[in-house]
Amino acid sequence: MHDGVSGLWSRLSVLEQDIATLFLLVLPAILLGIFLQRGYATGPLTWGLIRRYSRVCVTFVALIAVSVALGTGLISQERALRSGTASAAAPFDLIVAAPGSEMTAMLAAVYLQPARVRLVDGTIYDRVARHESVTLAAPIAFGDSFEGRPVVGTTTAFVDHLSGGLAEGRAFRRIDEAIAGARAKIDIGAAFAPAHGHGDAAVDGAHGDFTYTVVGRMSETGSPWDTAILVPVESVWEIHGLANGHGPDWGGRLGPPFEPTAFPGTPAIIVTADSLAAIYSLRSEFSTDTTMAFLPGAVLARLHALLGDVREVMSIMAIVTQGLVAVAVLAGLMILSRLVSRQLALLAALGAPNRFVLAVIWGTSATLILTGALLGMGLGVWAADIIGRIVSTRTDIDVSATLGWSEVHLVAGFASTTILFALVPALFITRREIVDDLRS
Amino acid sequence: MALRLVVQDLNVRAKSGRVILSVPTLEIAPGEAVVIKGPSGAGKSTLLHALAGLLERVDGAVNWGQRNLNQMPGAARTEFRRKTLGIVFQDHLLFDELDAFGNASLPSAFAPRRDRVNIRMQAADMLDRLNLTGQFRQSVTTQSGGERQRVAVARALAHNPQVLLADEPTASLGREAANALIDDLLRMTHDDGRTMIAVSHDAVFQDAAPRVIEMRDGRIVTETQNA
Repeated sequence: MHDGVSGLWSRLSVLEQDIATLFLLVLPAILLGIFLQRGYATGPLTWGLIRRYSRVCVTFVALIAVSVALGTGLISQERALRSGTASAAAPFDLIVAAPGSEMTAMLAAVYLQPARVRLVDGTIYDRVARHESVTLAAPIAFGDSFEGRPVVGTTTAFVDHLSGGLAEGRAFRRIDEAIAGARAKIDIGAAFAPAHGHGDAAVDGAHGDFTYTVVGRMSETGSPWDTAILVPVESVWEIHGLANGHGPDWGGRLGPPFEPTAFPGTPAIIVTADSLAAIYSLRSEFSTDTTMAFLPGAVLARLHALLGDVREVMSIMAIVTQGLVAVAVLAGLMILSRLVSRQLALLAALGAPNRFVLAVIWGTSATLILTGALLGMGLGVWAADIIGRIVSTRTDIDVSATLGWSEVHLVAGFASTTILFALVPALFITRREIVDDLRS
Repeated sequence: MALRLVVQDLNVRAKSGRVILSVPTLEIAPGEAVVIKGPSGAGKSTLLHALAGLLERVDGAVNWGQRNLNQMPGAARTEFRRKTLGIVFQDHLLFDELDAFGNASLPSAFAPRRDRVNIRMQAADMLDRLNLTGQFRQSVTTQSGGERQRVAVARALAHNPQVLLADEPTASLGREAANALIDDLLRMTHDDGRTMIAVSHDAVFQDAAPRVIEMRDGRIVTETQNA
């Protein structure tokens, strides 16, 4: 029997499983509703009670909505953050860097966070670039900025790989040309002088009269690279007084191949390979005493696993918050039931069956809980969207929160359970003596 | 056909155990109109509630026709009230959120589906007969005391009960409105062959009723037949 059910379950698609879970979560409340309301016309009385105690009801709905919004918002925001960081890291199959912290190297290469990292030399770069299964080996060069936007040296092949083609303009062909990120707020045709360093430490004019001219713009990537300005790696090396990566016979053609002896070093080589197997094989090959090779996706997965524990804690906190609100609301409903006990006693005196009185009180509670839960879900997504925009602006990682099945299940579970427990105040009120309440 | 009421050895106790109503015997014929009078605290309302099966801690028999209300389980008593009794309470006890027709037709909300249309039609008819035509959709909160009490009477009669129990139906009314309601109640019970038992301090009602029972200290002390 159990095997049969689990077999049937495993044959369902993920979407079907989500829908089935939702259905199972709300089923008890629906069945209770059908049982209580069957054959009765409670609508006008339920609506009448809500109108009579509209302020109290609005307070209940608001309490439920805020607690649900907190849970929904937290969970959807956390998922958006994970999905945004993962999607920003997606083009980075493998990174080869000098031994050290994978996290630091990843933050620097993928998320353009300034960091002090050791450089990989030309010999290693050459070995990586010449490897038979490597399809792209891009050096990057940090150190400059323009009005707060990082100026990153790299190759046109990497620009193509990262953004899947330019949105407008063309790739850089000369050492003094640049490509703007999709949201870099600099026009094509604009010329700018790079400052040395980042943020408050940036020094304008450190590179003399050297200026870049923007000739193209990348498509949006949803990553911090969108606000960066990409320039030929050779230019970054040159204006810092280093070799430009090419030998004395260089004719000015940008990009690889680079001459190992004239290669000043790169904090990270961004590598793509012809297959997933090749990426794993390259990782093994370049995980040595002198090099560190890692998959940003794997590092991120470890980070997300750690965040996953935090998410569990957040989920439990959300559930506890919702539980407390549910208890408060049920206690409030108990008081509300006392307020209307005379009307309910009247119904009983007129011959209304217990189930009808239960259906009126429970229907009122269920309406408030359901309204609060649905409002809260909308409010949560809206709040998560606002927070997502703020996080996106601050980190340049596209964090867009959307409503996911886990929030829907959380809200459905909360609403369903609370609606079931709403029967308690209703039962309580129907057990009182009719005449006592009629005279109250 | 209305039901005969036969009460035997009825005792109602307070929560403290004290006997607050004791009626060794009382018979009311089908279709009879009876007013119960007596000073405050005499047990009039308690008797009415006992006859409606609304009380706990009751001994003895309240037989409506062949059925003893006190031997029925709670749900059966409730169903008996729904089918057989119409009750008018002293202070109207209307739902302020509903309009006059919503209140008068309230019993349709918990009646079997097949009875709902009839109850609504009867509620409309009662409101007409009680001169509330044109006030169907009026909020009961904006009605006068007399109008509200007539809505309560329409509600009590909407399901065409065999018995009408009324507790001080004219208490909150001016003389003119009270007289009109007394006429209505007596006319409706007479015309429809319904039994009516009303508790009332109102001397006009007591004089108009064919039979008057006087209570004192939880007991029936006298009975009078008016000519």
